[in-house]
Amino acid sequence: MFAYLVRRLILAILTMWAVSVLSFVVIQLPPGDYITSYIAQMSSSGSFVSEQEANALRQQYGLDQPQYVQYIRWMKMVFQGNFGMALEYGRPVAEVIGDRIYLTMVVSVAAIIFTWCAALPIGVYSAVRQYSFGDYVATFVGFIGLAIPSFMLALILMYFGFTLFNANIGGLFSDEFAEASWSLAKLWDLTKHLPLPAVILGLAGTAQLIRIMRANLLDELGKPYVVTARARGLSESRLIIKYPVRVALNPFASTIGYLLPYVVSGSIIVSLVLSLPTVGPLLLKSLVAQDMFLAGTIVLLLGVMTVIGTFISDLLLMWIDPRIRFEGKQ
Amino acid sequence: MAKQRTGVTRREFLQQTALASGAVALTGLAPTAALAAQAGEQKIGSQLIGKLEGPELVLDPAKWPKKFGEAPALAELVKAGKLPPVEKRIPEEPMVVKPLHSIGKYGGTWRRGFTGPGDGENGNRIVSTDKILFWDYTGTKIMPCLAKDWKVSDDGRVVVITLRKGHRWSDGQPFTADDFVFWYEDVYMNKDIQPTPHPDFMVNGKPGRLSKRDEYTVMFEFPEPNYLFVDILAGSTAMGGGQATQQHFLRSMGAYMPAHYIKQLLPKYSSRDEVDKRAKAAGFDGWLSYAKNRWDWRLNPELPVLGPWKTVSPANTPTWGLERNPYYYGVDTEGKQLPYIDKISMGLAENLEVLNLRAIAGQYDLQERHTAMAKIPVFLENRSKGNYDVKLDPALNASDATLQINHAYDADPEIAKWLHNRDFRRALSLGIEREQLNETFWLGIGVAGSVIPSDSSPYSPGGEWRKKWSTYNPKQANELLDKIGLTKKDSEGYRLRTDGKGRLRIELQTSAGAFIPHTQVAEMIKEQWKKIGIQADTKELERNLFFTKIKGNEHQIAIWANDGTEALYLFPRHALPVDPVEALMGHPIADWFASNGKAGKAPKDPQMVKALDLFRSAGSKKTAQERYKIAQEIFKIIVEEQFSIGTVGQSPATMGVRIVSKKLGNIPARQVNAQHCRTPCSSHPATFFYKA
Repeated sequence: MFAYLVRRLILAILTMWAVSVLSFVVIQLPPGDYITSYIAQMSSSGSFVSEQEANALRQQYGLDQPQYVQYIRWMKMVFQGNFGMALEYGRPVAEVIGDRIYLTMVVSVAAIIFTWCAALPIGVYSAVRQYSFGDYVATFVGFIGLAIPSFMLALILMYFGFTLFNANIGGLFSDEFAEASWSLAKLWDLTKHLPLPAVILGLAGTAQLIRIMRANLLDELGKPYVVTARARGLSESRLIIKYPVRVALNPFASTIGYLLPYVVSGSIIVSLVLSLPTVGPLLLKSLVAQDMFLAGTIVLLLGVMTVIGTFISDLLLMWIDPRIRFEGKQ
Repeated sequence: MAKQRTGVTRREFLQQTALASGAVALTGLAPTAALAAQAGEQKIGSQLIGKLEGPELVLDPAKWPKKFGEAPALAELVKAGKLPPVEKRIPEEPMVVKPLHSIGKYGGTWRRGFTGPGDGENGNRIVSTDKILFWDYTGTKIMPCLAKDWKVSDDGRVVVITLRKGHRWSDGQPFTADDFVFWYEDVYMNKDIQPTPHPDFMVNGKPGRLSKRDEYTVMFEFPEPNYLFVDILAGSTAMGGGQATQQHFLRSMGAYMPAHYIKQLLPKYSSRDEVDKRAKAAGFDGWLSYAKNRWDWRLNPELPVLGPWKTVSPANTPTWGLERNPYYYGVDTEGKQLPYIDKISMGLAENLEVLNLRAIAGQYDLQERHTAMAKIPVFLENRSKGNYDVKLDPALNASDATLQINHAYDADPEIAKWLHNRDFRRALSLGIEREQLNETFWLGIGVAGSVIPSDSSPYSPGGEWRKKWSTYNPKQANELLDKIGLTKKDSEGYRLRTDGKGRLRIELQTSAGAFIPHTQVAEMIKEQWKKIGIQADTKELERNLFFTKIKGNEHQIAIWANDGTEALYLFPRHALPVDPVEALMGHPIADWFASNGKAGKAPKDPQMVKALDLFRSAGSKKTAQERYKIAQEIFKIIVEEQFSIGTVGQSPATMGVRIVSKKLGNIPARQVNAQHCRTPCSSHPATFFYKA
């Protein structure tokens, strides 16, 4: 068991290192660098940046160095807990991400809670009452949720919010609270804005989980241990929840690996459409501006979160499903 | 007419639904009905484009107010002893502005949208009265600004400006000629900060010098006549662009700086170790990065400024907040200190569609930036619900999608031969049906023609040059192409190369994300060129790649807006290949021009040489009239030779769709829309106010 854990840990660290190299290299693959996009931005506002000025700026940011030198420099800083300066923002990367990460977590966690609260009971219901009217409704909604891209849903809901309820367009706060410091009123304002993005972000996942839950549970329901339990006179609800549902929960546990990076990034496209101040749009913008410190840090963060998440879901699976535990021992 | 547009707008919106777009979801509904009701037989443009108007400066000191007023909040601070009285805060010779309609009321917060720290111009353009000289509301006459007066010596080698006595920075410290000298000696001449002299402060490749004559007089000296320099001080240039614009986003130009504040950031005034240490403590890698961050008005609320508002909540946070500068040097004709509006609050929109949707919902009080022309029907439909007016400000430049021909192209000798052939270029131009483009992509609001600026611009050679070689005439185009020897065609009717290597294919390179969808414009031109037997290939590139290709001299024809050409000398790069930074008409030629022949390649076409010689000669011409005349000659050559092919312009595509709350007063029906006028600043936003 211990050896297994250590092996996983070493693999995890190697993966993170590979992620950091890849993220740094991939970000620099497109032609030009941050200064190229900076010059383009400047000239669109009518300013002139001479060749010499551009070179001086490259020097100032160390962009004139070969890539591996830049990478080593960046890694050195990362180990000192300094992720560099977000070039476009003129602020340390940690601060720029820090500004948004809590709100991102709030939105993502709300979406996950919605997903689970909706998907679990509905999935169980439609498996237990297979081919009932309720099952058909759940299946229908589930397929719709899967089929409609979530950004499309965001657009439609935003449109109806605007025409029918005159609701605020996008964002997580009303104008008067965007700048205000935290207070109960601001929290209430956030709570009012939260359902829309949470539902939109959660719906696709909900549909998916309903289907998975239903399928898995159906597999279990016909198994002899269920029949035995029923023959022994266990109450139906206790029986279902205690045995087959627990086994069917497997997919929930194994998707936690993907949930963690999702929690810190939010969905990029939906966040962009809804103008949510989360990490997602930040990643997109930093990639467009070729700000490799900001983009690199976010990608690295996502990589690390995926690795940790996978690690956690391995442990969880071992706990939930004894079969995996035994395989781990062998 | 109206019927035709109905179909066209729907197509336009269908095209746009490909984008993830909130506002587009709205546009799907009934733009056609709105348009039909609005426009009838008329163009919608004519209903929304008003009379050009704006506030004026009172230049006669005898008419200046003697008593001064201030905002209630400031009056309270004065009472509490926290601020000197208003008479002590404004200069002895203030800038007196006669508001457009009436004296305003103090108060209110102006709500706007911006797209993040990269959108600095959104705020810069509002506070641009920190320029040395400026233009009147027509954009043609130079006006005092920070400098109350200016003089050019007879030989054109010396320009002297006089500052306003008693003028103060936003922290109350005096603003004097020393702030100019400090910038020149400690920033501009510092090779770490500014590695080479800037072209805007040079004449014929030779650098200018700055010195102080007395506390309020600054001298700019040049080794050769440079009559153009006054225009440069008034334009949106590195020397005259003002502190906000020229010192934001890593820039270090602008001709002056708050010396008393900036000194602490430079090694010269303490030691390299000391400033580096302070920078590292703030999380920066060295003093230079830190200094550039600290003198950026968007990012540093402590920075002393001269504009009507100063930053309180920096632009790298979700809300870029500004508040009034208690020491602003402008007053109205009753002596009330400007600005009228207390605060500006710019909310971050993660994408342009959300910004447009918010504007449609009436969540902005005044927004002309990022509001898109394609959304005009939806803006109109919702204007009473959102309690706003829609005003259009057509720009002065002629072509929002210009076919910029690479005059140094040499990768494919056959293509190069034709691109460098005048008759071939003329035929390409005659093969474009501009009215169809106008109806499809400009809602019929634009003006079709060549690349010459609006007739109201003194640089324009006259209306007949708008039509020359620039009307739809496929017959004449075919004759021209036949005449130059492109007679053989393939079975589909496309002309063949003369070297026997198949069909002649011309590449149209476009970049994604322009105000007008350039790729779709190119696709339509490709269709139109079928009639003259020319095969075009459109090639959309990501913006950085677009410019990398241009720099590598790889493009044949690049499509780009020709903004800035309405003030040819201040921003020539879209009219002539003179600027290596954005050399759409041939990078080697621009390199050759900018380096005075030391690098790059000289143009082969004698007419191009002539145009560039004319351009170079303008700076030594004494009067504006002479310089205008030269510009007109240059434009005549460009049109005659079709060096670049214009399509449709003079449209509100760039910052010309203005959404204005009905609550605001002193709003011009139409304002000049041009880079050198820092739109909307030539309308003096400091005079805008809330009526109720």
